[in-house]
Amino acid sequence: MRKFLCALSLSLVAASAFAQTVSFKDPAGDDDGPGTYTYPTDAVYARGSFDLTGFTLKVNGAKTDVSVTFNSNLADPWSMGSGFATQMVFVFIDKDHKTGSGYTKAFSGLNVEFAPESAWEKAIILSPQQPARVKTEVEQKAADLQKDVIIPARTRGAGRTVTASIDTAALGEGDPATWAYQVVVQSNEGFPSGTDLLTRKVNEYEGQHRFGGGNDGDCDPHAIDLLAGEGTGAKEEADLQHKMLAYECAADGSVKKLAVISTVHAKK
Amino acid sequence: MRINRITAFLVALLLFAATGYAQQQQQSTMTISGTTYTKWLWGNQRFDGSLYNFTNVPGEGWGDNGQGTEIELLVAAKPNRFLEVSGRIHSRFSQNFWTNFGGFGGTDGTCSDPNGGGDCGEFDPRSNQYVKLRGMTVRVTPGWKYMDAITFGSSDLGMFDAFTMGKIRYIDRDNLGVLLAQGSLAPNVRYDAIRISLPRLWAGPNFATGEFTSADSAYGVQLRYTGPVIDVTGIADQVSDVEIDTGDIIDDDGRKLTQRYRNQVVGIKADWHPAGPYAVRGALYRSSSDPNLRMADVPDNFGLNGYSPVIADDVNDEAIKLNVDVNDPFGNGFSVNGEYFSIGANYTSILAARRESDVLLTEGHDGTWAYPGPSNGAYGVFGGNPSRIGYSGWQGNMQQVATINVDNEFTDFDEPAAETVIGWKGFTITPRWQRDTLEIAGEYTHIDYDTNWQAWGDPSRGIENTIYPAAEIANIGVGNPYRSAYAPFQEKETDIALVRARYTLNVGKGVDLYGKLKTIQETDLRLNDERFLPYAAGDCPGNGQACGGVQNFYSPGNSTAAIYGNPGVITVGGVTGYQWAPFDDISDDDRELDYTMLQVGAGYQLTDIIYGSFTYEHYDADLQDGNTAFQAYRLHEMASGQHDKNKMIFLLRFPIGGAEAGFNYEYTFGSFEPDFGDGFVPQVASEEVARNVGVPVGSLGFAGRFGGWNSLETRDFEHHHLKAYFKVRF
Repeated sequence: MRKFLCALSLSLVAASAFAQTVSFKDPAGDDDGPGTYTYPTDAVYARGSFDLTGFTLKVNGAKTDVSVTFNSNLADPWSMGSGFATQMVFVFIDKDHKTGSGYTKAFSGLNVEFAPESAWEKAIILSPQQPARVKTEVEQKAADLQKDVIIPARTRGAGRTVTASIDTAALGEGDPATWAYQVVVQSNEGFPSGTDLLTRKVNEYEGQHRFGGGNDGDCDPHAIDLLAGEGTGAKEEADLQHKMLAYECAADGSVKKLAVISTVHAKK
Repeated sequence: MRINRITAFLVALLLFAATGYAQQQQQSTMTISGTTYTKWLWGNQRFDGSLYNFTNVPGEGWGDNGQGTEIELLVAAKPNRFLEVSGRIHSRFSQNFWTNFGGFGGTDGTCSDPNGGGDCGEFDPRSNQYVKLRGMTVRVTPGWKYMDAITFGSSDLGMFDAFTMGKIRYIDRDNLGVLLAQGSLAPNVRYDAIRISLPRLWAGPNFATGEFTSADSAYGVQLRYTGPVIDVTGIADQVSDVEIDTGDIIDDDGRKLTQRYRNQVVGIKADWHPAGPYAVRGALYRSSSDPNLRMADVPDNFGLNGYSPVIADDVNDEAIKLNVDVNDPFGNGFSVNGEYFSIGANYTSILAARRESDVLLTEGHDGTWAYPGPSNGAYGVFGGNPSRIGYSGWQGNMQQVATINVDNEFTDFDEPAAETVIGWKGFTITPRWQRDTLEIAGEYTHIDYDTNWQAWGDPSRGIENTIYPAAEIANIGVGNPYRSAYAPFQEKETDIALVRARYTLNVGKGVDLYGKLKTIQETDLRLNDERFLPYAAGDCPGNGQACGGVQNFYSPGNSTAAIYGNPGVITVGGVTGYQWAPFDDISDDDRELDYTMLQVGAGYQLTDIIYGSFTYEHYDADLQDGNTAFQAYRLHEMASGQHDKNKMIFLLRFPIGGAEAGFNYEYTFGSFEPDFGDGFVPQVASEEVARNVGVPVGSLGFAGRFGGWNSLETRDFEHHHLKAYFKVRF
C-alpha cells in the first residue's frame, strides 16, 4: 500500500513539476480534406467526428500526455472499449526541420507525403484498436518506419477529446517546444483494404462506410482534417489545408501528383 | 398500387443502369476475404442447447457450455467504376458444437429438445454445420447529377435513424433486402430513399407479417441539410403489411389486397452547433400504428402478458428528445450534457432499432437484472422455466431503444443488452471533468412514465383485456424486464444517480484504475385507487375464516378479482390461515427499490500483446415488490427482499498476428433473502414441487394462484460464466 501511495504521489508531483506544453488549434468545419470530402453515410459517423479542433502535447516528466480534440462528442458504437470508435489519428513530429533528415513518406492508406523540409522523425498513432493490433499492423505494413512509431499503451476517448500517455523517452532528445507537428485525422477501419494501416478509404461517392468526394483509386489523400498555417485555428487555415491536400489523379486512378503536407511549428 | 408502379419503375431503371454500365466494363477486381470465429463457452448451469447464453425464441436452445466455429467468406468485386458487388457466405453457431462430429452424432432426428446439445442430427441445419448466403449487395454509382448511388440487396439500415428505421442487429445485418437510392439535391442537401422488403420474422402484429408476405414493404426517405451552424434532417417511413383479400374470389381481374398492418413514422431533427462550446440538438417523431383487427392472426386484445410488437389498436404518439452540450466552456476540462426525453406510451415504430443503438444519454438499468425474478428467470414459479442466463445476467449497463420489439436473442453474458424506453419521460444531466488521464463523470436522471395509469388506462375494459402487449410485464424484479413497457397498474418514478472515475496511473506501462458508484431509487404504487381493489372491504375476515368472494367491480362486469383472486384457507403444521395474503389494501402491490452498485477495477498491459483487467462489482438491492397478495402477477418469481450480488470479472484480450483472442471469466455469487410480508401460512415443498421448481424438499414457500411456487428460503447462488474466443481474419 505504501508503495502504491508513493507511486501515486510521485506521479502527481511529476505532473505538476515538469509540465511542458505545446498546443495547436484547428478551425471547425474543415473536415473535408482537400475541400470536397464528405462523410460516410452510416449514422455512426456523426457530424464533426473527424473535425480536428485542437492538439496538445504535454510533457510530465517521464510521461507525455497527448490529446486531440474534435468538434463532436465521442462515442463507442462498435464497443471498442476505448471510449471512442470511429476516429484514428496520426501525429507526426518533425524535430529538426532539416531537409533529408527523417521520413517524407507517410503511412500507407494516408496517400500523402511530407515536404522534404517537414520530414518527420517520430510518429504517434492514436487508435481505438488495441495497441497490440496497431503494433502488428505497423509491423506488417510500415516495417521501415516501425522504429520511430510510438503506439501508446492506452488511448482513451471521453467527451470530445482523445488522450494518450506515452513514455517521454520514446520521443527522444530535444525540446518539444521547438519541434514541428502535423496531426492527420483519419477513421478507424477494423477491416482495412490491402496495405492500408487501419485507415478508411475515400471514394468518388461516399458509401455507408467510405468517405466520398475523392477518387476510387489511391491517388487522393485519405486525410480528412489536419493542421495548417500556424495552427491557431484561424479560418484561413481551412483554405491552407485544402491547398496542402491538392492532388491529381490519372484517368486510371493512379497517382499523378500526390498531396504534399507540411508540419506546423510550435510557438515558444 | 401506385407504390407498386413506382417500385417496378425503379427496378427497371436499375436493371437498365446495370446493363448499360456492364457494357462499359473495364478491368475487374475481385477480392475474397474471410473470418473464422471460434467460441468456447463454459459455465456451471450446464446448459448446452446453443453456443449462445440467452434466447427466448421458442424451439431454440440456449447454453453455457460448448465449443464451435463459424466461418464467413466475403466476396467483393468492382467490375468497373460504376459497379460494386459483394456477397457473404456464412455459417452459423446455433448448436454446431465440435462434439457433433460434423452433424453425424445426432440420435434424435426430430430435434424435439432444443436443449439437446446439438442432437438434432445430420439433416437439421441447427446442428449440421450448415453454410448459407447471408448477404448480397450490388451498388451502382451511375454518375448522375441527382443520384450518387443505387444499392440493392442487403443493408443494415445504418444510414437512417434509431427511432424510425434503425440499425438492424449485427446477426441480422445480411438478412434484410432493400432497394436504396442516395444522392444530392443541392450542394448541402442529401437524400436517402429506400424500399425495404419487410422481414416476415418480426415486423408486424404477433411478430409476423401474415400469410402473403412477398409484397410486404416499407418505404422511407431521409432528407439532410448540412449547414455551417445548423443541420436539419427530415425522415419518414411507411410500413405496409398486406394480405390477399379473401373476399375477392374472382381472380379474372387479379386479386385485391387488403391491409394487415400499417405503420407510419415521421420525424424532424435539428442540430445547432455554433462555433464555441455549445451545441443543441432536438428531435421530434410522430408515429401512427394501424393493425387490421378484423384479421384472425392480428390480436385485438391481450391478456395480462401478451406478446406482440404492436399495440392492438389504432394508436398515434410522439417521441421527443432535446440535448444540450456544453463542452469545456472554461477551458478547465469541465463539460456537461443534458437531455430531455419523452417517449410516448403508444409510440410505435416497427423498424426502430431493436438493439444496436442507444437512444438516451442515461445508463439506465444494469444488465445483471434485465429479466424477472431474482435469477433472471421468467415464469420461474412454474416447472420447466429455469433461468437461462443465470444470476449474472448481462455485463454492463443496458442500452436504450425506442421500441417494445427489443431483441436480446442469441447473446452472451458479455454483450450489451438493450431495454425498452417506451413510456419514459424525464431528463438526464451528465457533468464530466477531464484532465490528462483523469476523468470524473456523473449522471443524474429522473424518469416519470407515460405508462402511469390504472387498469391499463382504460377502466371500461377487463383487466385481462387490454390493447397493450406487456410481454413479461413491466417492473417485475430488481431491474425491469427488458422488453416490457406496460403493466396493468403503474404509478412509478425512477431516479438514477452515479459517479464514475477513471485514471491511468503512470506506473510501469500505466495502470488503468476505474470505478463507479451508482444508485437507483424507484417507487411504483401500482394499484393506487381503492376503486380497483378486487373484493369488497372486509371480504376476508381472517382468523381462519374463508373469504366471502364478494367482488368489487371497477366498471360494469370488470373486477381485478380476475387476477387477484382470494386465497383458500389451509392448515399447515397445525396452523390455519390463508394460502396467501388477501389483496385488500392498495399498498399490497407497492414497489420500492433502494439500489446501490459499486464497481472498482484495474487494467494493465501485461505483455506487449496481452491486456488484462480485473473488475469487482457489488450490487445491493433492497426491494419491496409487493407481497403474497401481489405474487408478481402470479406469473414470475417474487423478488421482494434483500439482494446481495457480487461479480468478479477477469478479462484478457490479445491480438496475435492478424487474429484476435479474448477471454472473459465471470464469477457471480451472493444471496437473495426473500421478504414477502405476512398474512399467510407458509407451506412445505413436496418432492414434486422440489423437483419442478428446484428447491429443497421440505423447504418453506407458498403455492400461488396458478399453483406456481415461491420459495421463502434464503437463496445462496454461485454461477460461473466463461467465454473465450479466437477470431482470424484472412
